[in-house]
Amino acid sequence: MSRVQRKSRSGVWYLPPIFKGLFFTFKKMLANLSKKNKMLTLNYPEEHYSYGPRFKGNHILTVKKDGSLRCTACMLCATNCPANCIKIIASEHESPEVEKYPIAYEIDILRCVFCGFCEEACPVDAIRMGPEWQAAGLNGDDFIYDIKYLSKRDSLKGGVLSHVDDKERHKAGM
Amino acid sequence: MSKKIIKCEINNQEVEVPEGTSIIEAFKELDQSIAHYCWHPGLSVAGVCRLCMVDIEGIPKLQIACNTEVKEGMKISNQSEKVKEAVKWGLEFHLINHPLDCPICDQAGECELQEQYMNFGQYSPNMAERKVKKRKVVDLGSKIVLDTERCILCSRCVRFTDEVSKTHELGIFNRGDRSEIGIFKDKPLENEYAVNTVDICPVGALTSKDFRFRQRVWYLKTADSICTGCSTGCNIKIDYNEEGLFRVQPRYNKEVNGYWMCDKGREVYRLPNKEGRLLEAKAPSSYSFKREDSLRPSRAGGNPVSSVEVLKKIRELFVKKEKAPQSALVLTAQYTVEEYEDLVSFFIKHLGTQQDIYYWRNNPESFDDFDGVLLRGDKNPNTKGLLEVLTNQGAIHSWESLQNRLKQKEIEVLWVAGPENQKVYPDLKEKIDTFESYCDNIIWWTAHPLSDSQKIWQIPTKTFFEKEGTLINHTGRAQKVKAVHQLVSSALSLSESATVLKGEELKKQEPPFLVTPMKTNHFTYKKKVL
Repeated sequence: MSRVQRKSRSGVWYLPPIFKGLFFTFKKMLANLSKKNKMLTLNYPEEHYSYGPRFKGNHILTVKKDGSLRCTACMLCATNCPANCIKIIASEHESPEVEKYPIAYEIDILRCVFCGFCEEACPVDAIRMGPEWQAAGLNGDDFIYDIKYLSKRDSLKGGVLSHVDDKERHKAGM
Repeated sequence: MSKKIIKCEINNQEVEVPEGTSIIEAFKELDQSIAHYCWHPGLSVAGVCRLCMVDIEGIPKLQIACNTEVKEGMKISNQSEKVKEAVKWGLEFHLINHPLDCPICDQAGECELQEQYMNFGQYSPNMAERKVKKRKVVDLGSKIVLDTERCILCSRCVRFTDEVSKTHELGIFNRGDRSEIGIFKDKPLENEYAVNTVDICPVGALTSKDFRFRQRVWYLKTADSICTGCSTGCNIKIDYNEEGLFRVQPRYNKEVNGYWMCDKGREVYRLPNKEGRLLEAKAPSSYSFKREDSLRPSRAGGNPVSSVEVLKKIRELFVKKEKAPQSALVLTAQYTVEEYEDLVSFFIKHLGTQQDIYYWRNNPESFDDFDGVLLRGDKNPNTKGLLEVLTNQGAIHSWESLQNRLKQKEIEVLWVAGPENQKVYPDLKEKIDTFESYCDNIIWWTAHPLSDSQKIWQIPTKTFFEKEGTLINHTGRAQKVKAVHQLVSSALSLSESATVLKGEELKKQEPPFLVTPMKTNHFTYKKKVL
């Protein structure tokens, strides 16, 4: 039910609040112009906000010391993924020490909810969620991150080294 | 002479078993859980894993259930703390040198070590010494890969090759903690039943090359079915998911196959898989499509050709005539009894082909072969069923008469219910050539496309995984197959085809069980359309 407001005397006094608001705006503008470093907004494409170290951004597949992928294609990340966005195809490796490795590893980043369960499930520190958070693309293809992008994209500068090393584990008799 | 029945008590539950039964068998009779690795119902008793410990009243020490016979009035229990402790430490001994590479092990998810560890273990290891390293990824032949590190030396596989396949390829070599499973020099594990050793391996030491790394087992669903590889009709379990079928394992049936199946039968999972299936009905290239024809192929701008529409067209051309053309029906023994009944009765009633129904028998030379275990030369699952239907309808005729009639050009339309498994029909190509040279109109029901035949109407059929029906094996035992999941949407069973050919509407049948497909993102899977 709508209600028609009758003209009242108080309704005439709309000018003072307008000036009050404009005064606040100009105060902030002048303050920002004089103290630029205290300004809250960023010039986005040129300036980036850096989040804390525990930020869960785009995925990274880590590598071993020789540059090959750390991932053993155990598919625990894909199993644990609540958004069902990880797709792995495993294959037999030439070396019996490695035995199993992924030949395809795809993350559909549009489906991903950035929960970090993949990272938690991984037994060998093969997948991590990195600091990058920009996921822009021109068409659908750009949102499926393939194995090459996840492990060796330019921003990773040759790949991120995994904490877990097979050779050290073998030496320790594990 | 029947054996004497004796009574005993297991975990305060009374059970009656024949004399000579081992305690573990009595446990299985009651469906009580008991930890064990080396004991397998189809093999002899080895008693090496020492895990099936039970407490028997009146005996101070624990006994192994697999090698102790049940005696009258025995009171057996495996619930006591004493038993649980014994199993726990037994398990720790098994795991001393086990590599714990579950992430890359194919058995993970169905591994008995994992199961027993969760049931009884859950200790932190006390072993201070290093693990003994053994050979990994050992090639045992064309079918199986061995990992000696994971092996717990239960000797099931060794006993299998000694007792069931009787080929004696496997053995345990070396001693102490260096002992390992292996094959003899230049004698790979290549017998017809080799992959059974993978099934019975309680850990991931033996893995099948065909299934290796293709899926994790927890992604798979299991359906019961019947093997269509030969006329033995082994009972099988099929593991599948929304991507297709992945492997076949034997299912216990005392009367048919026991615990085992042959390696050739394990190939049947490939037949229903979408790769290599005939996905759409095909009209012969000579058939000229008209502008208003609903059969126009999809690339010419018309609707996709559904097999029902093609069958309706076939009905217009060859069935719905004032004088039906002289037809002949050729049947292979790869369909179900119900399908034969429907199709044969349609042909007799509507086309009057009582005299022209023929049975195509493949490989007649090796038809009656039998290897002494399971594998038979008759590579059709339903030869008995087909012959029964044809005899009942009084419509069985020799192959020679078909050839004569074809040569005299007496047959105008030839209908063929072709083999589902084309590999076991070595004369397929030859037969197609004969048919094509003597007959102009051929309609062929097939699950897999016929290569380079342009003159044949091809109708996609359902495979044994997609339809319900009865298969009759070589002993006359009728076994049901269930419709589990339809992989090719346009496929029709012979019964459905007969219904359409009669001119009746096909009942829309929802498949009894549908796997929910993986949720696909419209924007990412329809590429370049965002």
